[in-house]
Amino acid sequence: MNRAAALALAAALALPGALAAQDTTAPAGVRVGITYTPGTRPSIAVLAAGGAVLDSVRTILGRDLDYSDRFEVVVPPAAAAALDSGGLPNYRALDALGTDFAVSVVASAPASPDPRARAAVDVQLHDVRSGAVKNRVTLQVGDAGGEALRRAVHRAADEVVRWATGAKGIASSAIYYVADGHIWRVDPDGADRVLIPTAGRPSLSPAWSPDGRTLAYTAFVRSGQPIVLQDLASGHRDIVPGTEYGMNITPEFSPDGRRLAFAHGDENGTDLYVYDLARRTATRLTVGRYYDNLSPAWSPDGQRIAYISTRPGLPQLYVMQADGTGQEALARFDFGSTGMTYAPEWSPDGQAVVFHREVAGTPQVFVLDLATRAVKQITGEGRNEDATWAPDGRHVCFVSSRGGTRLLWIVDLETGRMRQLFSTVGARLPAWSPGHASLEAG
Amino acid sequence: MTNRVALASLATLLVAVACSKPPAPAQPAPAPAPAAAPATAAADSAARAAARRDSLAAVARADSLERAARASAQADSVRAQVQRAQADSATAAVQSGLSAADSAVLAEAVHFDYDKADLAAADLPRLDRKLAIFQAHPRLEIQIAGNCDERGSDEYNLALGERRASAAKRYLVAHGVAAERIDVVSYGKERPLDGGHGEEAWARNRRDDFAVTRGAN
Repeated sequence: MNRAAALALAAALALPGALAAQDTTAPAGVRVGITYTPGTRPSIAVLAAGGAVLDSVRTILGRDLDYSDRFEVVVPPAAAAALDSGGLPNYRALDALGTDFAVSVVASAPASPDPRARAAVDVQLHDVRSGAVKNRVTLQVGDAGGEALRRAVHRAADEVVRWATGAKGIASSAIYYVADGHIWRVDPDGADRVLIPTAGRPSLSPAWSPDGRTLAYTAFVRSGQPIVLQDLASGHRDIVPGTEYGMNITPEFSPDGRRLAFAHGDENGTDLYVYDLARRTATRLTVGRYYDNLSPAWSPDGQRIAYISTRPGLPQLYVMQADGTGQEALARFDFGSTGMTYAPEWSPDGQAVVFHREVAGTPQVFVLDLATRAVKQITGEGRNEDATWAPDGRHVCFVSSRGGTRLLWIVDLETGRMRQLFSTVGARLPAWSPGHASLEAG
Repeated sequence: MTNRVALASLATLLVAVACSKPPAPAQPAPAPAPAAAPATAAADSAARAAARRDSLAAVARADSLERAARASAQADSVRAQVQRAQADSATAAVQSGLSAADSAVLAEAVHFDYDKADLAAADLPRLDRKLAIFQAHPRLEIQIAGNCDERGSDEYNLALGERRASAAKRYLVAHGVAAERIDVVSYGKERPLDGGHGEEAWARNRRDDFAVTRGAN
């Protein structure tokens, strides 16, 4: 069997260098938790001068700011919501209502006689108390269709979040998921769902490259289940060498985008490999003759990989150095009583790992705080599984059967707020982009 | 060699037909294989364009269509699936050059306990009966497909299915079948025979399927 030989050779060539065990964990303190106290978020009003385009910009922007969970989005009464002829809000009236920020959406002054240049929208963030413009961005909506306009507004929403709070927004990120055996992409507000044509059906376990340009996934084709690297702009597909045959699952790009960890399974079991994209070689990381190793999750510094191993009998959460050394349990478990554990993903700040675990036969989403090694269950209603971090590190998207059918949901870990992403039944295996979704995507 | 490949892919096609009966299909198009990618480019871009066109209203409409399709798919009884599978296996028997009786024996599934990949003692006679067919038809090659119930994660079940398929292969190889004659594949929980959600359905779905990939001729 050629493929076994190829992988064995790659394994033999691997140099298990003893990298120093860099601890990426942060200082003490449970960062993840539902600690929100009502009334502590700044309030923000989104105001538009009127007109269909401006109104739809205001609506999308308002929803993005609401979904950021960093503001109380308020709707002031008409008198306080009006903009003056210069496009400025009524600071005094808004201040009297206790509004902290206002966002105005007005048609941009024509910059040139070119008709397309006229179709631009000014988005300004105002500090209501000081009565001043904090920052502004001009959206070229020109001949842009619905999707391009929405993308421009999402980027503006992330700018507003950054100006007002200094934090990273998620409006212009995107989520891959699997439905009906196909891979789809959706914006975090649930709109602009796009089918990504893939090789093979089902196509499973979509994974983002850090630059958003390459999609990795497992494709079910006649010869087996290869890992496919697909360029989103050109649609070009490349099969990871060594995965042409056998079962190849759970691909995950390293944070620098140069390596891809995945699990290869054959008659000897399922084990983790790491593929070097430039050298086009795969190195074996685990040798589990009588147990399986799968679902690799890189730490954001690229030094460590969390994964699932059946070494203790039931699948549990393990961690190792990225070269395969230092394999050990990551989340504490008790033989026989801790439920089966699956699908880890490292948080963007490196301080936590989200995963799901069976509790009395029902999967629930947990977050492991790496500083304290404490695990916290964050779901309880229905089956909840396959969680993925938003790039802001405070939102998590997961599959949930709460409400009776399996849907994608998003939870804000700071406030505990839950929302349904969209209403298509059967969506699964979500993967949130590590940053802003590439414009070429799809 | 060409012949062999052609036969194998024909058989695989038949197997694929036999296996591609998941309980909840709202199937718009067949899977594009990598080689067939250019041919489906037009369809792909049409699908993309269609997906892009969606306003929120269109999304809502698609959702309700999808729900309707799923509901009608669920109404499709297991009995109908079994009949289809029998019809498919009869076709496969003609193509493989095996007798209908031998084909039926080869196709007999073996079943597993929850989260286990150990062969049940009660199933061993089912594997032993296949041994005689391998001996009588030295050119025969099969694929063993490991399957799981709906519990556990999608991805973990792929690994578990691989272990289940490998367990049956190891048994057959230990009893004299050349390893090259048996290919294994895992479908995890992607291809349940029974779309139900109770122990009875789960028990039916935790199985190895056996399919002829190269006939006796």
